[in-house]
Amino acid sequence: MSSLARKFDSSGGLSSTGPIVSRQPSKLFPSLFKSIDPDHRLTVLEIGPALPETVDFFSQFKCRLHFVDLFSEAFVREQQARLSEKELRHAFEEHFRFPADTRIDICLLWDFLCYLDDAALKAFNSALKPWIHPASKVHGFGAHHLAIRVENIQYGIIDQETLSIRKRQTAQMSCYPHSQIEMHEMLSSLDFERGLLLPEGKLEMLLKPRV
Amino acid sequence: MIGQGISIKGDVKADCSVRVEGRVEGRSIQCTDEVDIAESAQVTANIIAKTVNISGLVSGDVGGSEKVLITRTGRVQGNIIAPRVQLEDGALFRGSIDMNPAKPAGAEKAATGATTASRPESTDSGQKVLASAPSKSAASTADSGRKEPGLKLNSG
Repeated sequence: MSSLARKFDSSGGLSSTGPIVSRQPSKLFPSLFKSIDPDHRLTVLEIGPALPETVDFFSQFKCRLHFVDLFSEAFVREQQARLSEKELRHAFEEHFRFPADTRIDICLLWDFLCYLDDAALKAFNSALKPWIHPASKVHGFGAHHLAIRVENIQYGIIDQETLSIRKRQTAQMSCYPHSQIEMHEMLSSLDFERGLLLPEGKLEMLLKPRV
Repeated sequence: MIGQGISIKGDVKADCSVRVEGRVEGRSIQCTDEVDIAESAQVTANIIAKTVNISGLVSGDVGGSEKVLITRTGRVQGNIIAPRVQLEDGALFRGSIDMNPAKPAGAEKAATGATTASRPESTDSGQKVLASAPSKSAASTADSGRKEPGLKLNSG
């Protein structure tokens, strides 16, 4: 296998995706796209993989999409418990190497926060903070106790009110539920704006930069 | 056409469509029409053309003045600038995508393969126009400080 080919194997941080298995409506997602200036280039940070429907959705906007699939990274999947908060922050920062003038307008976390332990959550917060601005919007799903089943799925965007669901091709990671108070403490750069309890018990969240 | 058994180290510049089935390692593949990266191809270079269809492995930035398509077997690590970008199910991509449906990004420069700059330029709107860029800029290593979101090639 050539060195170029090795980069794309399953350990290289890029994993293949399965087909869309279902759609999930969202009442909070449209809030991300309210009052978008068509002349402004929308800068989006997508913490998951680049999915066809997501790219297609954003093709209607003047935009720059940063795809950083942290769900596939070894330091998140396998090494998290062994790394210190400082090491984790450095690892996240290595993946957030954007142009210096980048300011994220929309950050799509999906259920990524469910897979971060306390140290990783604080580290992620620290690494993300320099890239957000006062009008940034952050969307994600959370689980606040262990009884809530976090499925091993990937989210994409079909339209403003509909998300796609695909089964993740990699093994399920360990889940770390956080209460809203814990999240508020550890995600010190963000505040809850709105939350919606979903039928399966997960919390859909809109977050904004903390003043 | 660059056939399956052919390996090129250097730049490729063409006034017609280019199909790559072999290996290309260099600064750029520049074409005034269409670049087709076949499933068997392995390219470490920037690609600049009117349309770019990728079914193989590409490590580099891609600029299409009309469209960039990554098919189900395509694997791309780099940054893409095009008015329209499309991924098929199964495509793998890591990097950033700049899209502006209203205005082709750097259309003239991408189509003519202008080589006036060695680094991507910023337009007034902040969009980057791909010119011929050394693969080093696309393959920026993780320890080189904040740069353009280029590639993170693993050594070896």
